[in-house]
Amino acid sequence: MIPILLATFLTATVEWVEAYTIILAVSLSIGWGRALQAAGAALLCLAALTGFGSFILTRIHNLAMLQLVVGVFLVLFGVRWLGKAVARGAGLKKLHDETEEFAALRARDDINEARAAWFIAFNGMLLEGLEVWLIVVALGVQTGHTLAAAGAAIAALAAVGAAGALLRQPLARVPENVIKFTVGAAVLGFGTFWVLEALGYAWPLGDAALPLLFAFYVAGGLALIRLYTPKPKGAELV
Amino acid sequence: MQGFIKTLFGDKRTLAVAGLSILAALAVLHTPAAVLAGLVLPFCLLGGAAYLARH
Repeated sequence: MIPILLATFLTATVEWVEAYTIILAVSLSIGWGRALQAAGAALLCLAALTGFGSFILTRIHNLAMLQLVVGVFLVLFGVRWLGKAVARGAGLKKLHDETEEFAALRARDDINEARAAWFIAFNGMLLEGLEVWLIVVALGVQTGHTLAAAGAAIAALAAVGAAGALLRQPLARVPENVIKFTVGAAVLGFGTFWVLEALGYAWPLGDAALPLLFAFYVAGGLALIRLYTPKPKGAELV
Repeated sequence: MQGFIKTLFGDKRTLAVAGLSILAALAVLHTPAAVLAGLVLPFCLLGGAAYLARH
């Protein structure tokens, strides 16, 4: 259960940090009250989606089918995050910079218009929260710990909210790419395990295969970052 | 709605990587070397992550 809670907490932390940047930028235009109202409305939508998603998935009484559905979603999510983190780690893609995101948001023409700004905050919170929702529902339902997973996501929200309230500036020092890399490897490990098990594969080491899969994806991801990082000029002569 | 669908399924490349990797593992599962499926899927997915990082 601890790996599930940790993966959920870390995923949520990354997403809430990005959402906080949007809320902060909007709050400078329409005030904290309206910006938080928009964020709250988005959170209500996410809570409803979590209830709905859990309801649908718990209707699947065939364990193999449930494992396959959840596993495929986790594989899709994990391989995307791992690929993105490798690209950023190797310098193929720019690292996500909350300060830059904040400046870009503040430069938008529509952010000073009350209605448009409210929707920027609402959409931002909803879209960032969708990835949290996916992890909470997928990991929670599969392991029977949906409430605990939702609790981990709420704990991350409280932590980011507290840091934001204290600092009142973009949380640019959160090591987002390291978290994305770690969570991508962990989620891909869970997805791989459940997809194969659903297809009838008996893991030779049982549940002990899970940490091995995580280690494999971490080691493989680090090797890819090393492989893709451009060599400094003249390095090949050494 | 687009954001919702993209969050759930990713883009076409992500779908292709996941789909082809799972199909490869499924194919191996139906051969006498079925035990290797536990290696085929992780290696295919890591290869997929390498491809996605480049594109």
